[in-house]
Amino acid sequence: MSIQRPLSDSWLDSPVDYPHDGGCQAAIDPDFKAFLAPMEARRMGRLLKRAVAVSDTVLAEASVSDPDAILTATGLGCVENTEAFLNALCEEGEDVMMPTAFMQSTHNTIGSLLAIRRKCHGYNSTYAHKGVSFESAVLDAVVQLRLGAVSNALVGAFDEMTPTYFGFLAKTGFVGQPGMVRASDSAVAMVLSAVPAEKALCELMDVRLMYRPAAGKVASYIMGQEGVDAIVAGINGSEKNDKIYEEIASATCLPVMGYKHLFGENYGASAAGVYAAVRCLHSGRFASLHAGEMALPEIRSVAVVNHDGRSVSVVKLGSLC
Amino acid sequence: MAGSVVRHKPIVVTGAGVVCAIGNCKGQVAEALRSCRSGISTVEYLDTSHKEFPVGEVRMTNTEMRAAAGIAPGEVANRSSLMAVIAAGEALAQAGLACIPEGVRVGLVTGTTVGGMDMSERHYRSFKDSDEHAAYIATHDCGSTNELIADRFPGLEMVTTVSTACSSAANAVMLGANLIDAGMADVMVVGGTECLTRFHLNGFKSLMILDREPCRPFDISRAGLNLGEGAAYLVIETEESARRRGVPVVCRLSGWGNACDAFHQTATSADGEGAYLSMKAALESAGLQPSDIDYINAHGTSTPNNDESEAVAVERLFAGCMPAISSTKSYTGHTTSASGAIESVICLLALEGGFMPANLNLTQPLDRGIRPVMPDAAGNAPSANLKNILCNSFGFGGNDSSLIFSRFDD
Repeated sequence: MSIQRPLSDSWLDSPVDYPHDGGCQAAIDPDFKAFLAPMEARRMGRLLKRAVAVSDTVLAEASVSDPDAILTATGLGCVENTEAFLNALCEEGEDVMMPTAFMQSTHNTIGSLLAIRRKCHGYNSTYAHKGVSFESAVLDAVVQLRLGAVSNALVGAFDEMTPTYFGFLAKTGFVGQPGMVRASDSAVAMVLSAVPAEKALCELMDVRLMYRPAAGKVASYIMGQEGVDAIVAGINGSEKNDKIYEEIASATCLPVMGYKHLFGENYGASAAGVYAAVRCLHSGRFASLHAGEMALPEIRSVAVVNHDGRSVSVVKLGSLC
Repeated sequence: MAGSVVRHKPIVVTGAGVVCAIGNCKGQVAEALRSCRSGISTVEYLDTSHKEFPVGEVRMTNTEMRAAAGIAPGEVANRSSLMAVIAAGEALAQAGLACIPEGVRVGLVTGTTVGGMDMSERHYRSFKDSDEHAAYIATHDCGSTNELIADRFPGLEMVTTVSTACSSAANAVMLGANLIDAGMADVMVVGGTECLTRFHLNGFKSLMILDREPCRPFDISRAGLNLGEGAAYLVIETEESARRRGVPVVCRLSGWGNACDAFHQTATSADGEGAYLSMKAALESAGLQPSDIDYINAHGTSTPNNDESEAVAVERLFAGCMPAISSTKSYTGHTTSASGAIESVICLLALEGGFMPANLNLTQPLDRGIRPVMPDAAGNAPSANLKNILCNSFGFGGNDSSLIFSRFDD
């Protein structure tokens, strides 16, 4: 779920277009009645509802009802609840009594809810590391799949952008600058499996987190052991942020595509990038990610690269078609 | 669960550092534990009107922490990052990594939930109305707080942040161990940090689980927890890596387990299923039997719900071979996201020093067949020759994790 049509791949052919005006855009929600009883939904903020709906959808698609692990990524958790508590604390003082808002302000509320609803007693953890939270969760899943500790994992990224927090983040330059894609919400989930399933969409070849890397180091990892045909980069229209992608492009001589023009910018945006790359590899259609004039070569593998401040993440994906 | 029977490479601890209410380094903490001296007292450092709740504060102002961490007055920092820099610095120095050399792949995983909330709650109005404190917006979240820590230790290859409430640090240790086991890192600096804030003091007050008296884990009269603060880190690597680098081994990290209670967002199940599964998974990954465990450092928050449920889970797993148990939250307070790391360091100190931390303020233990550690006749921690220690950390939402530390016999 994003600023494209919810639970749909229609962005492959007819994306919803947004101006690059540095504005703030809420996600388009589906009808949650299909996923949640009204009583249950009433106690949940929009982020929790999205997390349930998108996770239920991918687990059904993967025919997994009880995943061995649930890995959640959220840069900020349920911001609506955190703000409600913080506002009350600042405006009314320390007589505040808001147990539900406090309870839902912790980042692991989302992953716990997913486990509670499905009675999943397996491995459960939550990562909160800015724009590479999702890749951190993927890294945990990949490590455990490789070690044979789990056979499958539900991995999801859930972040919401409230008007107040958008105002805050605009002051840091992360969003809200002229020429930037819109700040947005993300609710993205996928199932990773160690066993190649018939319905598998692509291969997750490798994932890497890097701290303050030089562009050359990122480039040599991308070109290394398992080289790729193209880069899907988190270009967001901020010169400062996008510079490293240009450097990586010139060091690797690979075609570079984007995804944030479709899905916007937020701490969960790179999960939308991985999701988009998976769908494009599976369908063999990259046109919606590719804004350039240059004709694309045949693409059988990509590196999804995201850059947030001091961290860079790379997720390498390969086609199974 | 598939997670339980995996054999892993021998992983060892080569460095540890801690800052908490009973000391600003390992030596001070060990001394307080040996002499059964609690750090819980009246609020002194946190700016709050709720003086009625005792807390376990680190006995330093932010200014004093800056001096200890070598961070200049003008540089952006929050209390969680300052405590963490001190603790991680102690751990890295012990592991011979005060300067991280090229060619060693070192990563940092920090568990935190509060992050920079201490500065955000102070400047929240000004975040909205002015740019005066905008630098603190960029360090509000957990990941940014961790990057404030990371930048003090140049040469780190990867940095990430776990946030599973009160089990955050234990889960950070687990990711580090798995990365080393999979050959994806050489050395990992793993731990957690959490400073006290008005935000979560009032949050726990809203949940009505704070005690106005010093907490009494596992006592039938227990009536809630005391919050604490602090930071702690471990440096972990393979035995082979420690030998190659020529650094002494402190102990083994022999097992780890994570399970979800999947019961309720803040309450724990009556049968302690999540706790039972995480302890069982840790034993299996260590290749140990319940009878091999000499001492359990319990999560033991002192809430009626947690201690009952944890004791039930311990009774289920250890029936017939009940190890000694204590909660050191009676010394440090509940240091939430940092607790898994602080209590891991306490386990290391107990292994190394040959003692068991006593459970304070215990007059009548709850009737679950548990064997709480009591102070000896002189009022000190009893001596004990320990081989294997189990350390529990349980979080909101049933995020339960258990670690096992074992004596290193060369």
